[in-house]
Order: sequence, then C-alpha cells, then structure tokens
Amino acid sequence: MKTLAGRIAFNLFAWTVVLVTAFPLIWMILTSVKPQFELFRIPPTFWPEQITFEHYTRLIYETPFLKYMRNSLILGFTTTIVVVVVATLGAHSLVRFRYPGRERLAQMVLFTYLLPSVVLILPLYLMMVWLGIANTIFSLVIAYTTFALPYALWLLRSFMQGIPDDLEAAALVDGATRMEAFVDVILPQALPGIISTSLFTFILAWNEYLYALVLVNTDEARPLTTGVMSMLVSAFNIEWSLLMAASVMMSLPLIIIFAFLQKYLTRGFGAGGVKG
Amino acid sequence: MADVSFQKVRKAFGSAVAVKSLDLAIGSGEFVSLLGPSGCGKTTTLRMLAGLEFPTEGEIRIGDRVVNAVPPGQRDIAMVFQSYAPYPHMSVAENIAYPLKKRGVGRAERDAKVASVAATLQLGALLDRKPRQLSGGQQQRVALGRALVRDPKVFLLDEPLSNLDAKLRAHMRAELIELHRKLGKTFIYVTHDQLEAMTMSDRIAVMHEGDLQQFGAPMQVYEKPANLFVAGFIGSPAMNLLPGALESSGSGLAFVRQGLWLPVGAGGQAGQKVTLGVRPEDIALGSGPFVATVRIVEPTGHETIVMADIGGQSAIVRVQPDAAHVVGSEIPFAVRTSRLHAFDSVSGARLDLAFALPAS
Repeated sequence: MKTLAGRIAFNLFAWTVVLVTAFPLIWMILTSVKPQFELFRIPPTFWPEQITFEHYTRLIYETPFLKYMRNSLILGFTTTIVVVVVATLGAHSLVRFRYPGRERLAQMVLFTYLLPSVVLILPLYLMMVWLGIANTIFSLVIAYTTFALPYALWLLRSFMQGIPDDLEAAALVDGATRMEAFVDVILPQALPGIISTSLFTFILAWNEYLYALVLVNTDEARPLTTGVMSMLVSAFNIEWSLLMAASVMMSLPLIIIFAFLQKYLTRGFGAGGVKG
Repeated sequence: MADVSFQKVRKAFGSAVAVKSLDLAIGSGEFVSLLGPSGCGKTTTLRMLAGLEFPTEGEIRIGDRVVNAVPPGQRDIAMVFQSYAPYPHMSVAENIAYPLKKRGVGRAERDAKVASVAATLQLGALLDRKPRQLSGGQQQRVALGRALVRDPKVFLLDEPLSNLDAKLRAHMRAELIELHRKLGKTFIYVTHDQLEAMTMSDRIAVMHEGDLQQFGAPMQVYEKPANLFVAGFIGSPAMNLLPGALESSGSGLAFVRQGLWLPVGAGGQAGQKVTLGVRPEDIALGSGPFVATVRIVEPTGHETIVMADIGGQSAIVRVQPDAAHVVGSEIPFAVRTSRLHAFDSVSGARLDLAFALPAS
C-alpha cells in the first residue's frame, strides 16, 4: 500500500516536472498553427479553433528563413566535423602517447575553456577581419571551434582513458598500423563518446547567438538564431505567429538528431572490452 | 641457433629503469618463462620483444633480424595479453580473422583458417558471439585463437592464466603445454607464478628489479639457485634462509648460528657471513643433532607443514601427514647435508660449500 502510494506520488511529481518543462514547447506548437486573429484573443484559447499552416508557408516563401536554415545546417555540421575530428585525434594522443608536457598541454586546453567567451569576441573579430574572413560562415566555424574544442577534448579524453591499452596493443601485434588500430579498434569503442561530443557541439553551434550577432551581419552568412531575430523582432513589433513557426522549424533538426542518436548514447556504456 | 636474443638491452622510463642490461638467448622451439615478482621488468621485456616498447639501449633479434625498429605487426610474433583483449565490437570469428585480414588474406582462406583454429580450441559453437557473452576461459581461447591463426614464429604470452580460477588454470596449463608440443614454436611466457614456470618451461629466466638473476632449466634453478633472491623465490613453501657465519673449527671451518653447527668440508673462509638455505623437505624431524621447537602445525592432507623455531628463527618443515607433532614440544632434527645451499650474506651469490653433520 505504502509502495503504491509512493509510486503514485512519484509519478505525479514526475509528470508535473514534465508538463512544466514541456508546456512552453506545446504552447509554441499550438500558437504556430493558430490563425492570426486567434493569437491575441482574450481570454486565450488553448486548442486552436481553426488550424492553419499559413505562417509556415509565409515563412518559407516570403522570408529568407530557408537561407538561414541552410547557413545554420552548414555551420552546425562543419563545426561538429572539425571539432570531433580534431578532438578525437587529440584525445587519443593525450591518452596514448608519452611526450614531454602532455599533462600541461591538457591543462592549458582546459584553461582556455575557463575564459568567458565574451572576452574573446573582440580579439576574434579583429582576427577574422585581419584574415579577411569576417562576415562568413567559416568565421563562425572557427569561433565555435575555439570554445567547443576544449570541452570536446576533455570529454573524449576521459572517455578514451576507459579504453584498455591492451586493445590497441593487440591490434598492433595483429598487424595493424597505428592508424588502422585507431580506426578498427579505438573508434568503435569510443563511438558513444564521439556521439555525445558531436551532439554537444552541434547543439552549441545550432543555438549560439552572441558570436553570430557580433561576427556576422549579412543575410548570406547569418544563421537561424540571429536571422530570425533580426527578421521578426524589431523595436516596435514582434511577429509572434511567424516567430512561433520559425521556432518549431528550428527545433526540428535537433529533435530528429536526438531521436536517431539517443540509442547510441547509451549503447556501449558498461560493455567493457576487458574482463579482469 | 637462437630464435630470440636480447643483447645488452636496457629500458628506462624517464629516471625509472625497468630493465637494466639484459642478455638472453632463447633457442628455436623453446618454451621459456620470464619469472619474477611484479615490477621485475618481465612484462617490459616481453613488450619490447613485441615492439610495443622500444629499448633505450641494446639490440633485440628475432631469428637473425634485428627488430629494434620493426613495427609489431611485421615481427612475426603473436601475443596473448593478460586481459585477453578481445575486440569487444567484433564477433569471435571476426576477432580470430582480424590478423589475417590485416595481412590481406582472402576471405575464403580466412574462413577456412578460422574454422580450423576454432575447432582446435573448441570455439566452433561460439563463433557468432561477442566477447562479452563469453566466460573468462572462453575469452582466453579467443585470444589464443587470434595468435594461433597467423602461425607466427614466436608466441608471447603475458600472464595468460592469471585471471582464471584455479581449476581452469590447471586445465589451461596442460593445454598450453600440449599446444607447444604440437606446434613446436618458440613460446615466451611471462608469469609471477613459479608453479606455472616450473611445470611448463624448458628454461626459466628469473628476473628481479630489472636484472636477470638466473636462466636455466626448472630443476636446475630449483636445485642450484644462483643467489639468495632465486633461492627465496623458487619453491613453495619457500626455502628457509638462516643467516650465520663461517668460523674456524679445529683443522677446518664450520657454519655457525644459534641452534646450528655444521662442519664445512671445502670452500669459504673464516669470518665470512654466510646464509644457509634449507628447503622445507630437507629438514628431517625426529632425530638428529639439533633441536627445534614446534610452533604451528598445518595439515594440508597430502602433507603437513610445520613451522618450527630453530635458534630464534622460524623455519618451515615439510613432513609426512601421519607424523604427529605437538605444538610447543621440542624435537630433535637433522638436515640433508648434500642438499644444503650456501650464499654469501653480503653479495647474495651462491657459494659452493660442502657441509657435513657434526659427529655426535
């Protein structure tokens, strides 16, 4: 009886948390399909009396939304690829090879992560101008890499420390080169770590606002975050209906990616390669 | 013709020296154990031979080729790790096939070899399983299979039995001996377990603190330990080491310590500090010129171990299980003088002294 009551209480609590967290998302979706006249009705309606996709069509056909979407996708994927490739190889080196200053190097990398990112904006902006790549998606890739890489490196480093040395040694003895041993044996073992790191980096690049605002000010390179803001939010007016539709569409890629990758996130954990 | 040789090989990790200056020549087809306590340099030696560590100085040869700069995969060796290290994401069949794949062996030949090795190791029914679905003993067979499938010149085994339970260990020991006999290949086996080394090897290399202490056949190492370390390390229960000194006695010398007095026929000089080594089975309780006090009696079934006090030092004696010894009693004993060992207490080196029992 006590356990049943406890279970009910626990479920009530859990559902309350879920509802509180999910309510803004639900409201966002509902608002995005309400016709304009229903948006500001008092008292507000929860379920739309009439469902319309006019905001979505307007967003797609009448605004540069798709261009921003393309920029964000390029930005997110490029940053993720650059960060994951460099961090995976770097973490492997920090874990497996012996060279002077190895620990110091790892600490210095972490130190750069401790700097508030605001501090780095101006130097980075000046650097981009000097390099002649200001106002491009590429400049944002570099900027995001500077703060995603240290964290990714540490995440993968601790992950790779859990992979037994013997696995790589066994592959080397079995005739693999260092690179083959890395690809055949280390990478599959590190896959859950690589996927978490990729997700972290992609979400960071997808949601970042401040750097995008400062470093880029043409529609050609603007990602969704700043693009949607500058397009729909002005000092005098906020286009709520379009903003909600844009928000729903911005959330979709992340939801899709999570749906596909979350099983990899848990798979592999706990399945140690070595008994003993 | 030596199959594997180390010449003045030294390995240092920063300021820590793992192997000091190793000279070792291992014959073709030999089963050699590298034996020693942890930290003695035996695993480092094996890893240098495998190409996983590089010697700081010296030369390593496999066959007549210097392999110092040859990558592990091209040394014609196979290695079984203490952790077995099966590739967790590959099935048993893929694990065994991996070395062949890396050598560019075609699929049909690969499958045939894997099947034949799996049959030898009784892994046939497990080929589709992943390592985590296997027991420790089965994982070890997979590791062995990965080594066997390539038909290498030299097999390196790094404490392969230490993670198995006692029963399985005895079984695998017999299987490894059988495997070595069948293949006729050179086996180099690292272990800290002297029983494994004694039962399996043609020769044992005893190592301690990065130095080779003795290299010889198991019985030779047991019968004629080269120094105090080997004497104390080989044998279970361990050899009793009783420190004393040589003193003049009449026309000759005698080994003297509290509770013991043994005339010495030849060798040594008066005043020399000498440690007497007596194996537990070479002390005969019941009669003799000396007296010991029984402290602890441990019957194990097939024999009884008695801890006795000889002149203030406890010594281990192995006796027949039917011998009844009362704790606290004083009993006379003798030693088998032909089987005594003597070592210089300062340098630890073996001394060739001939002992006799005192005339009663």
